[in-house]
Amino acid sequence: MDVSNLLAAQASKFQSVAVEKDTPLDVDAGFLTVTDLNPIDEDSYRSNLEEFLKSTARDGIQALVAALYELPTESSIDGPVTKLPPPTTQLPRAKPLPKPKPPTKWERFAAAKGIQKKRRDRKVWDEEKQEWVNRWGRDGKNKETEDQWIHEVKANADVDFDPVQAARDERKSRVAKNERQRLQNLARAQTAQSEREQRKIELEKTLAATRTSTASMGKFDRKLEGDKKMRGMKRKFDPTEMSAEKEKQASLAVLSQLDGDAKRAKIDKGAGDEVVNVRKAIRAVSKGKGGVVSGREQRKGSKESGKGKRGKR
Amino acid sequence: MRPLTEEESKTVFTKLANYIGKNLVHLVDRNDEPYCFRLHKDRVYYVSEANMRLSISIARQNLLSLGTCFGKFSKSGKFKLHVTALDYLAQYAKYKIWIKPNGEMPFLYGNHVLKAHLGRITEDTPEHQGVVVFNMSDIPLGFGVTARSTVDTRKLDPTAIIVFHQADVGEYLRDEDTLI
Repeated sequence: MDVSNLLAAQASKFQSVAVEKDTPLDVDAGFLTVTDLNPIDEDSYRSNLEEFLKSTARDGIQALVAALYELPTESSIDGPVTKLPPPTTQLPRAKPLPKPKPPTKWERFAAAKGIQKKRRDRKVWDEEKQEWVNRWGRDGKNKETEDQWIHEVKANADVDFDPVQAARDERKSRVAKNERQRLQNLARAQTAQSEREQRKIELEKTLAATRTSTASMGKFDRKLEGDKKMRGMKRKFDPTEMSAEKEKQASLAVLSQLDGDAKRAKIDKGAGDEVVNVRKAIRAVSKGKGGVVSGREQRKGSKESGKGKRGKR
Repeated sequence: MRPLTEEESKTVFTKLANYIGKNLVHLVDRNDEPYCFRLHKDRVYYVSEANMRLSISIARQNLLSLGTCFGKFSKSGKFKLHVTALDYLAQYAKYKIWIKPNGEMPFLYGNHVLKAHLGRITEDTPEHQGVVVFNMSDIPLGFGVTARSTVDTRKLDPTAIIVFHQADVGEYLRDEDTLI
């Protein structure tokens, strides 16, 4: 039975494994990326877009799969696994290159004197212990004088002189000095802008202030050609998706703050928080005379009535 | 859609506290599932965390509403409670007022509550206090602010206003277009 024509018919259904293109496809197996640099055939693109895109994608995938099959494989539980080669495509940086930091005072001095920077090793050899110990930090060599079991003290030293404390203070002062110098370097780096730059920033600030100093906050002013758009304050909001617990704590904090404010207001108010205004009530009863006057009148009235009775008797 | 800033939270909570007082904690710290407040198109929504996470994937202009709308911020930054918050206010209300059947319709048409329509009122309700208005069969109709304290209302004549109207369920028909 001759099945060659059946096989040929079956084979014609499938396209060739080899991808033939005018410009060979650029395959980067490291990123699993294929770049097709061939110009688009306008006729097939216009006539049947979907078919054209499918065939282009198919060729790309075929080339990528072929490239992957050429890589060495290792067997694993899940089947054969291949290790991807390092990518060849250069991707751009996400962030711009960092600006070079201005040199510190010591770096400038070293450059002027031609001093080469020597990196100090973290470890240093201890002759007594016959082992490598830390230069700084825990059990550091710099604490050697503090930790030694016997100390030399000068003959003219005070009675209450503590050599351990003195050594410690000296070390701490060195650390403090280093920190102070670091902060000075930072401050110097911030003010390292040239006079011209500073003047420019100052002018921009002044200009921004004058632009918003009209009654309408500069809304209806005529715009000049080179005028940049005013940059307002960028408000920062919390991310939309926060943990519920975090948000609950924030809300409860605001609530407790409000509660505190309410209590404070009550304390400030004092007696004015009662349901009935006592002073107002007294004035209403005493026909506007007030408590003290009406009390005095009542007393006077009772005395007079007493006199009258006595006279009758 | 974004969380409220501290200032906005203060404004919203101050307004809500006028109606539900300390019960505000029950809105923030719920036992059943976590809920949160979200601001979207100047409106404050009270949403379950699950719904909030789902709504993140919807574009701002396509998102119409989420959860329960509690109210909106005016252009001047003041917060106005909407009738949509009534369910929660009624549930946790500190001070309540019940109105007679003949006072229901005037209130639902947006008028203030008069003394003549007053059925019952919570004891010791202070002046300018947020109250929830119910009918005599305990169905919440809306909310408002007291014009006088409970003590003062006894001396008033029947035509005097005792509760200033803030919102009522009639708005679902009257302000159908602008409510959401």
